[in-house]
Amino acid sequence: MSNTDDIRWVAQVALLGDKTAFDKLTCKYQSSIRRFFLNLTVGDAPLSDDLAQETFIKAYLNISTFKGISGFSTWLYRIAYNVFYDSARAQKHYDDIDEQVIDNQRHTLNEFSAEKMDIYKALKILRKEEQTAVLLFYMEDKTHKEIAKIMNCPLGTAKTYILKGKEKLSVYLTQAGYGN
Amino acid sequence: METNETDDMLKGFFGEQKQEIADNGFSKRVMRKLPEQADRSWIVWVFAIAGIIISLILGFYTGLFQHAQFVLPRIPVYYILAGVFCFPLVGTIAFYFTQNKHYRVI
Repeated sequence: MSNTDDIRWVAQVALLGDKTAFDKLTCKYQSSIRRFFLNLTVGDAPLSDDLAQETFIKAYLNISTFKGISGFSTWLYRIAYNVFYDSARAQKHYDDIDEQVIDNQRHTLNEFSAEKMDIYKALKILRKEEQTAVLLFYMEDKTHKEIAKIMNCPLGTAKTYILKGKEKLSVYLTQAGYGN
Repeated sequence: METNETDDMLKGFFGEQKQEIADNGFSKRVMRKLPEQADRSWIVWVFAIAGIIISLILGFYTGLFQHAQFVLPRIPVYYILAGVFCFPLVGTIAFYFTQNKHYRVI
């Protein structure tokens, strides 16, 4: 499915309020958006699904503001990024939450937890902005320019986040014996 | 460690962890939560009817239809047939090239 399909579906939703077209967009992007949240919340599957749901609802309500300058995917990630940081600010999620609760959630609620422990441990050593930029770059295959748009920051800042994240992860993974 | 080596290592690391998440009813839950909006499919019909009316008015007003009545019987039937058959042929070829990621000849 190409970007042409995205534009066609977006036009159908924006002009005609066609929910079937929006369902196609949701099906296409649900996996990447939920994965993005799952990594940002270090494995909290219920929270990441709630945030993903909120992202798609906001996208549906504001779809007429999508100008098509950047791809639909970039626009959707931008909403997801805002939803995540709004949620984090509102709940002070990362300041107040008990580490043990997170660990328990990983073990009990997330079906991928066993395989993903390494990535969650690695991501926890990064600042939130670095996590976001690194995830978008290395996991979601976004370009520097797209990341700058998603994070609403200058291109140089986005590159700095990736570079700093890369340096920290490189040291961490080498010490952990990854790649040997 | 060299930058390229680091990039390769990180790409490998994240690539191993990357996995598709099954829908498992997520899309349906999203669709159920979407607020109801008025059906706007009438817009298509309004523009279609307006377009037809404008075409008819302009056609009669400028004498296009009267001229066509005079010219059409004098065009050889083969030209018309070629025109009629070329349209779906060109359309099919264009469709194939725009959708060639999904359809293969063999």
